[in-house]
Amino acid sequence: MIAILGFLFLGLFLLWPLANVFGASLLDSEGAQFTFGNYTRMLGRPYYRTAIANTLGIGAAATILTTVISVPFAFALARLPVAGKQAVQAMAALPLVLPSFVSAYAIVLLLGNAGIVTRWLHDHGIAIGSIYGATGIILVYALTLYPYVLLPTVAAFKAVDVSMEEAALGLGSSPGRAVRTVILPIVLPAILAGGLLVFIETLENFGVPFVLAEDMPIFSVEAFKLFIGETAANPAQAGVLGVLLILTTALVLLVQRRFLSRRRFATNARAAPPLLRVGWGLRIAATLYCWTIVLLALVPFFAIVVLSFMEFRGPVLHEHFSLGNFAGFYDKAMRPLANTLIFASLASLCVTLVGVPIGYVVTRWRSGTATVLDVVATLPFAVAGTVLAIGFVMSFNAGWLVLTGGPLILVLAYTVRKVPFAVRSAGAIVHQIDVSLEEASVSLGRSPLQTFLRIVAPLMVGGILSGIVLTWVTVASELSATVVLYSGDWRTLTVVMFQSLEGGGAGLATAASTVLIVVTLLPIALLYRLVRRYELG
Amino acid sequence: MAGIHVKGASRSFGSVRAVDQVDLEIGEGEFFTLLGPSGCGKTTLLRMIAGFCELDAGEIRFGDKRIDKLSAHRRDVGMVFQNYAVFPNLTVAGNVAYGLRARRVPAAEIGSQVEAALGMVQLGGYGERMPHQLSGGQLQRVAIARALVIRPQVLLFDEPLSNLDARLRVSMRAEIRQLQQSLGITAVYVTHDQEEAMSVSDRIGLMNQGRLEQVGVPSEIYRKPATRFAAEFMGTTNLLEARQLGLAAPVTVSLRPEALRLADEAPADWPRLAGTIAALEMLGPLTRLDVALANGTVLRLAMLDQPQRPLQAGAPVTVAYDPARLVIVP
Repeated sequence: MIAILGFLFLGLFLLWPLANVFGASLLDSEGAQFTFGNYTRMLGRPYYRTAIANTLGIGAAATILTTVISVPFAFALARLPVAGKQAVQAMAALPLVLPSFVSAYAIVLLLGNAGIVTRWLHDHGIAIGSIYGATGIILVYALTLYPYVLLPTVAAFKAVDVSMEEAALGLGSSPGRAVRTVILPIVLPAILAGGLLVFIETLENFGVPFVLAEDMPIFSVEAFKLFIGETAANPAQAGVLGVLLILTTALVLLVQRRFLSRRRFATNARAAPPLLRVGWGLRIAATLYCWTIVLLALVPFFAIVVLSFMEFRGPVLHEHFSLGNFAGFYDKAMRPLANTLIFASLASLCVTLVGVPIGYVVTRWRSGTATVLDVVATLPFAVAGTVLAIGFVMSFNAGWLVLTGGPLILVLAYTVRKVPFAVRSAGAIVHQIDVSLEEASVSLGRSPLQTFLRIVAPLMVGGILSGIVLTWVTVASELSATVVLYSGDWRTLTVVMFQSLEGGGAGLATAASTVLIVVTLLPIALLYRLVRRYELG
Repeated sequence: MAGIHVKGASRSFGSVRAVDQVDLEIGEGEFFTLLGPSGCGKTTLLRMIAGFCELDAGEIRFGDKRIDKLSAHRRDVGMVFQNYAVFPNLTVAGNVAYGLRARRVPAAEIGSQVEAALGMVQLGGYGERMPHQLSGGQLQRVAIARALVIRPQVLLFDEPLSNLDARLRVSMRAEIRQLQQSLGITAVYVTHDQEEAMSVSDRIGLMNQGRLEQVGVPSEIYRKPATRFAAEFMGTTNLLEARQLGLAAPVTVSLRPEALRLADEAPADWPRLAGTIAALEMLGPLTRLDVALANGTVLRLAMLDQPQRPLQAGAPVTVAYDPARLVIVP
């Protein structure tokens, strides 16, 4: 029953739009004949070949940089005495919920051609290279995506049973060799899994390249341009890019599964391994390293909050404080703010209603149906927001279900995009709940449905709540699907920012950024307090 | 309360026949134990009775009522799980009341029934505690009270003591037995521990590879094992070809270690065998000997501790066995 509803929902709002994208990419210009012509034409053009190369190259570089930064960071957090570790750990998770294109925009305001730091350095006779293009994009990706590698790797370092390294040392390895030959290989799957998340995020990210790429062609941006098309919208060619993007991501995921399924040596540590005893030199170095990264990643967000309280005339910044930007925001952007709040709330509700039952089913039932449902529910993860949105427009623009032009299409797109996360996290929680609890309830006379409501659901509440908050926060800063699907009155905060970036209204953009940062951090802080109280109580 | 009648029950997982054509009659009020090594199908059979595992073939009845197609929550069984399965989000009293609420027992009666059930498992006054404040033994008592309070037709135990320490296991199994007797509920108990099985059961069903190997009262299964597997699984035994003992018949025999004695302590009509002490194991109340006979056969022998009698590995020794306890196994 749940499975059927799940298939219905995902079929209508995921598979059908994607099928339309595929279909469009395979039809000729009259939409009548089946053809691979679009593919050969697109791939034949150097411009799009460059776009593919750029996207993959930047993604690979960002992934490598992120990994190189994060692994020592993770080791320091897990095993070295780092001053203020709790604070570092809390702050290190923040980039996951803060919108990355805000970071990109802040970098432009600081280091761009007319950036504050650039001008200041210029006045002092120092010239820095351009931040636009690959350098800037890679930098922003590394600073905003590093938690994807850091967090699982810290967990993995902590999960290595201390007897492993004791055995290695006992057999005569030096500590360095023990780390290299025993601990790193055990942790490697976690590092790789995190790295692939980073790679996939870079493939589908729209905001960062939109802000920083300038004239460098990037996949997701090109697909958007082709579809919205200032000259003439071209769904077939946008479809081709979309399909290529999906195939690339799917390929990456497949390789990951293949590789990781053969390596599973998680060891269950009974207690987290102890901190290493190291000298002052290393201790200070580790502390400096961790704090530098955490702060560097947050500086852009901090900077944009400060800048939002300064006066802008057009794109030009004047260095005195003013509330003008917020006055402008109040005039123009209250409706979008309300939209963002409403959409995020509705979407997190829908995601929970769709994702939690599916997560339960795919974890508890070991049938073929459950496996297929699992795969389908994970699929949105491999689909860039832009591409899904294009599919939505193609599917719900006409016919029996017309959604374009209204608010519902946004909520549905958000729901589909975030379902994989809800399914995963709900699945993880269900996994922790012993099956025999449910069996006990059933044998005491409660039907499976009552059992779910009375036993499973109460035990899941904590996890579901944090899932809702995370969904809420990420939906609030969603840009890539929004920018294709919004219309008229149904603009969101991110659209306001997007439009003012295009139109040069920097003041409004900074104010909107600040509001967005507050809007995302507030629920996180509330959740954190709630969890703390729950754990203490 | 009802007897349990299993006819031709089968279930395969992939190519493994977990339960293979099992026929079983369990009497009303009987304490029946399914005993066997891990993977023998005992838990699967129990879960078939509980309703958590569908049958590929066969049928199960409680009394006259066929229940194998009934969903688990309609079967009226009480089940006690290996890992307690006490609901962590409910109080002790909430756990015990859970089944009563499902049966829509009036609220006024629930309180007194819960208190009575907790009293039965010596947890009177623990009702308001949360499960995480309880020890493993106490959790299992909660689970037992929760299963008993609904007065089920059948009480099922899935290795309920295997997570408890050895001492607690011994006292809990006596309590379980005593509760079941005083309430007269039909009980099916699954364990891999033969000593536990022998101490609690009216009858034991010994399972191996999805089949019932032997069914009988504990003493019968121990003393008269019907198969080689039964002889070896129920405690230690000497499994020998008869000629190894100097007998002519071409059969395999089982001889328990305690059916052997040192020759000078044995009745005169017991056959004697000469050998040397190959190994000696002092276990406290018991001393175990491995005695190597001249033909190379090693016999295991167990006797009560005898401080006045020095025994040494390597020393020659003559042993005797009770011919009445020699069991031929197929």
